[in-house]
Amino acid sequence: MFLRILDRLEETIIAALMGAATLLTFVAVLHRFLVDVPWLYPILFPIRLAWTQELCIYMFIWMAKFGAAYGVRTGIHVGVDVLINRLNDKWRKGVILFGLLGGALFTAIVGTMGAKFVIELMGTDQVSPDLELPSWIVYACIPLGSYLMCFRFLQVCWSFWTTGQLPHHDATNVDGIEVVSDKAPIAIGEA
Amino acid sequence: MSAAFIFGLLFALMLTGMPISISLGLTVLTFLFTMTEVPIESVGLKLFSGLDNFGIMAIPFFILAGTFLTRGGVARRMITFTTSVVGHFNGGLGLAGVAACAMFAAISGSSVATVVAIGSIMMPAMVEHGYPRRFGVGVISTSGALGILVPPSIILVLYGVSTNTSIGALFMAGIVPGIMLALMLAAVTWFIARRNDYPRMPKATFGQQFHAFRESFWGLALIGIVLGGIYGGVFTPTEAAAVAAVYAFFITVFVYKELKLSEVPKVLLQAASMSSMLLYIITNAVLFSFLMTHEQIPQEMAAWIIDKNFGVWTFLFVVNVILLAAGNVMDPSSILLIMAPILYPLATKLGVNPVHLGVLMIVNSEVGLCHPPVGLNLYIASGIAKMGISEITIAVLPWLCAMLIFLGLITYVPEISLWLPHMLGML
Repeated sequence: MFLRILDRLEETIIAALMGAATLLTFVAVLHRFLVDVPWLYPILFPIRLAWTQELCIYMFIWMAKFGAAYGVRTGIHVGVDVLINRLNDKWRKGVILFGLLGGALFTAIVGTMGAKFVIELMGTDQVSPDLELPSWIVYACIPLGSYLMCFRFLQVCWSFWTTGQLPHHDATNVDGIEVVSDKAPIAIGEA
Repeated sequence: MSAAFIFGLLFALMLTGMPISISLGLTVLTFLFTMTEVPIESVGLKLFSGLDNFGIMAIPFFILAGTFLTRGGVARRMITFTTSVVGHFNGGLGLAGVAACAMFAAISGSSVATVVAIGSIMMPAMVEHGYPRRFGVGVISTSGALGILVPPSIILVLYGVSTNTSIGALFMAGIVPGIMLALMLAAVTWFIARRNDYPRMPKATFGQQFHAFRESFWGLALIGIVLGGIYGGVFTPTEAAAVAAVYAFFITVFVYKELKLSEVPKVLLQAASMSSMLLYIITNAVLFSFLMTHEQIPQEMAAWIIDKNFGVWTFLFVVNVILLAAGNVMDPSSILLIMAPILYPLATKLGVNPVHLGVLMIVNSEVGLCHPPVGLNLYIASGIAKMGISEITIAVLPWLCAMLIFLGLITYVPEISLWLPHMLGML
């Protein structure tokens, strides 16, 4: 139950950030054009949109951190699989587990460093240049995103250990386009 | 010494199949932790500041635009248009496929999107009209690689961001090579089709051509918006990408009505997930290039090359060999993010124009996309055409040879890439 809510939350956050950042930048561009129209000038000129660029960057960084965690769950992060596909099953399983645990280790270290950094920032009154948001809120995406990603790595690791299945991202499968693929796209062993 | 350690560890980690982004990050952490006094805390900050750049944000926007455009409509109308123009020549549908790929490449920044969008319509159509399956697969999977050469291109944005080269100039530099490669691929298609006497389409009347053009106009207009907007100084590349994404949303949902509003969140999620994956590699690649600079590895390599008196000719040859070899194990964006910060300082020391180096790296990536074991275009084509990888590998050979010849031209005739940006005064 908790996991289902977490999954949905993750998906909603990244899709919403993607859409919002696009609209925001579009509106800022539109504003810059329309402000030159004489009769709109008095209405639009007082609206300052200089902060949109910064907000767009922050939205995308947040999206990237949570999206990376989502990507672990869906198996979108690509690695070099030329060698491991040639190993025998026992070795292959071991090497893949090592890779997954390496991912968990890296994200755990980064998350902890990020958390330390954010806690230090909370003691200061540092703010972001344009939006004047407290810096610690902006940087909070590093510990939150990395710990979530670490959790996802452990989750994938566990399901691989118990079922032998890895999440698999299928680049040939594009929704809405009928492409019937009866073969896994990265089945190099069979080639 | 430290270079050998860094690269050795990176290769070892990558060979375990762990994501490339994680291998890069772990290499940096291990090295900093064991061999240097650099405070590890500074790494955490880099993970944020590495992305704190409005130029990088063109990537998610272009991916979103591409995801909308792949959902049919635009690609099909472009195919109808190109078929009405070149369909009556030898190998007409093949030529139309090359042209449609080039056109779609001019509105989308990725070659995967191009192969999926054009291939899923064109390959079945070619089989239906009596072309051998191999021929169709060969044409589309190689022409699809135009997606990353013809601007806008996500890979060119990556290069521009990681070497601080003007993205506008890189986009303009991609135009002439893109058209040239399209013509070369079309020539191969025409020769093969003529020798084997493949079917031709009936010649379309001017009225039909005009109608097809008007139908595909909405998609074609995007070329003008992006390239015209950037060249005219109306937008920055990032803003152009955001406008392209909104425009692509508008035409697929409201003009061509290929997508229901309720499906938009799914498209957003798909684009967000793809973008996050790339942005995550970028953050870790930034860490890695920070390590390279800190250890002065590119500088040492440059000093060594100058000391040995290697000319530009040898240098470019070696660059091609390294990149082609890397294309056997890694995808284009990872290769670019790892190699560009290393090659860029060497190239500038030897007087190679950074824009030329960028185009050269893209063409190498294109070749990598079209041959096994990791050529993504082949896997996509294999999914669409339901053919085995080994058969497709043979099918693409004629076009792949043309691409290698093209790579030679791009390497040793820099004017092909630099002429247009020079003419436009962007260099």
